[in-house]
Amino acid sequence: MSWHVPEQLVAAYVEGAVRGARAASIEAHVLSCQACRAMVGAEVSSDRLESIWSTVVDEVDAPRRTWPERLLGAIGLPDTDARLIAAAPSLRLSWLASVGVVLLFAAWASNTSDRGATLFLILAPVIPVLAVAGAYGPRIDPTYEMSAATPYPTLRLILLRSATVVAVSGLLALAASTFVPDGDIAAAWLLPCLALVSLTLVLTRWVPLPVAAAGVAAVYALPLLSALIDNRDISAALLSPALQWAAAVVAVAALSLLSTDPHLRTALRRTP
Amino acid sequence: MNTAALVTDVRRRYGRTQALDGATFEIGTGVTGLLGPNGAGKTTLLRILATVAAPDSGAVSVFGRNPAVAGERLEIRRRLGYLPQDPGFQRGFSVFEFIDYIAILKELTNRRERHDEVRRVIECVDLESVSGKRVRSLSGGMKRRTALAAALLGDPQFLVLDEPTAGLDPEQRLRFRELVSDAGEGRAVLLSTHQTEDVAALCQDVVVLDQGRVLFHGSPAELTSVADGRVWFAAERSADAELVWRGADGRFRHLGSPPPGADVVEPTLEDGYLLLVGRVDEEAAA
Repeated sequence: MSWHVPEQLVAAYVEGAVRGARAASIEAHVLSCQACRAMVGAEVSSDRLESIWSTVVDEVDAPRRTWPERLLGAIGLPDTDARLIAAAPSLRLSWLASVGVVLLFAAWASNTSDRGATLFLILAPVIPVLAVAGAYGPRIDPTYEMSAATPYPTLRLILLRSATVVAVSGLLALAASTFVPDGDIAAAWLLPCLALVSLTLVLTRWVPLPVAAAGVAAVYALPLLSALIDNRDISAALLSPALQWAAAVVAVAALSLLSTDPHLRTALRRTP
Repeated sequence: MNTAALVTDVRRRYGRTQALDGATFEIGTGVTGLLGPNGAGKTTLLRILATVAAPDSGAVSVFGRNPAVAGERLEIRRRLGYLPQDPGFQRGFSVFEFIDYIAILKELTNRRERHDEVRRVIECVDLESVSGKRVRSLSGGMKRRTALAAALLGDPQFLVLDEPTAGLDPEQRLRFRELVSDAGEGRAVLLSTHQTEDVAALCQDVVVLDQGRVLFHGSPAELTSVADGRVWFAAERSADAELVWRGADGRFRHLGSPPPGADVVEPTLEDGYLLLVGRVDEEAAA
């Protein structure tokens, strides 16, 4: 090798004063020339070397960001919150795929008969509630036992995960509702869904999240499914303004209760 | 004694099972071993001290704080490290990712500092070589060490470890003893185990729990002394003994009241524990 990096150029390179093609050329040379590499190494302070090494190690170790984390980061959520939310079991692709299949089936059924439309009206608001049930809790989250002993506010974790899984499953339900031919039916599940989800979150003050969500879903859906199986016509009741108003009242009351909860305020105020 | 945790007349029932039935004891700094047969209430007690479960009645205090009060519970959790009996792991998480996840929950929000702390605890449990591997693909012992590393995050003042040596090989157990012994300097460690050798090697204090009640609380030497003059060797099995097994040298080791002229030997902590628990079982049967 005939050419070596001149000493004065090494000093400028280490200080970052050499840029562009010249810097790239020095970099390529240093990689293959032990003498120049030693010269560059001698010019760099040990503190800086340590800092560079620490950055490299940190980049190598840094956990891979999953697709929900990238999505949540894009809407401005801190990395730490995004990581905690993305670990929700009901954000797994397998879970979302099964939800999508159920909703598409219900939407397809609504095209075939009145009973199919009723089935869609029953399932669409319940699916986001079940997604909330799968967001956090004993027997749901594999790390629950360790998580529960940490200082992170459980209520904050529940709300962050619930909001995300409701948004994702709600979007899936909205997408499925575009296959429903009747516009009234396609929109009639939204208010009941809001009511059921907010009621679930209120109940978490007294019972674990999965119990609250499963209880609310069962109380709403089981009598309706039973009536459907008995061939009773309940579609008119599900589409009635009275039910929509009732759902709106429940949702407003539950959200008001939630917004005045001092624990909730503390949890949301917490700087991540 | 510097009190770290105080348990007073704690009761807890699961359905028809009375897991804890008036347990009362106090632990200080140093390493305390919790011994007891299966179903004695050890895990329930540790879950209560780790603030994961609440007692039906009785009082618990950790560093003078009451875990039933939200604000005080938070203060306890900030000083707590907890290794559950059966720790679960998120699907797809590597060792580093899992510990990093728990570190976020432990309020280590600065990324660089958090990652440095994660690397520190991974080194503590000798898992550097597998830090990038998925936890679910590791052996049982390695999984246990991963969860132990997560419990060590943030240098907790109170470590609650539920069967920490289960699944560890002899070399790993020695390393674990070194780790816990260091952790017990100026801090409080409460560990449940079935390994009486670990208690004898590590603990300054022993609590024996049986049927939800504290049967014994004292030093390992005091527990050993329960068997003073009640362990003997003989070439033949004796009907006088409460427990008999054949040792590696072919002779029978007997626990119980020795017959006249028996070759009485120094007891071990295990002898004391077996006689203590065995006696209670007999009393319960009578």
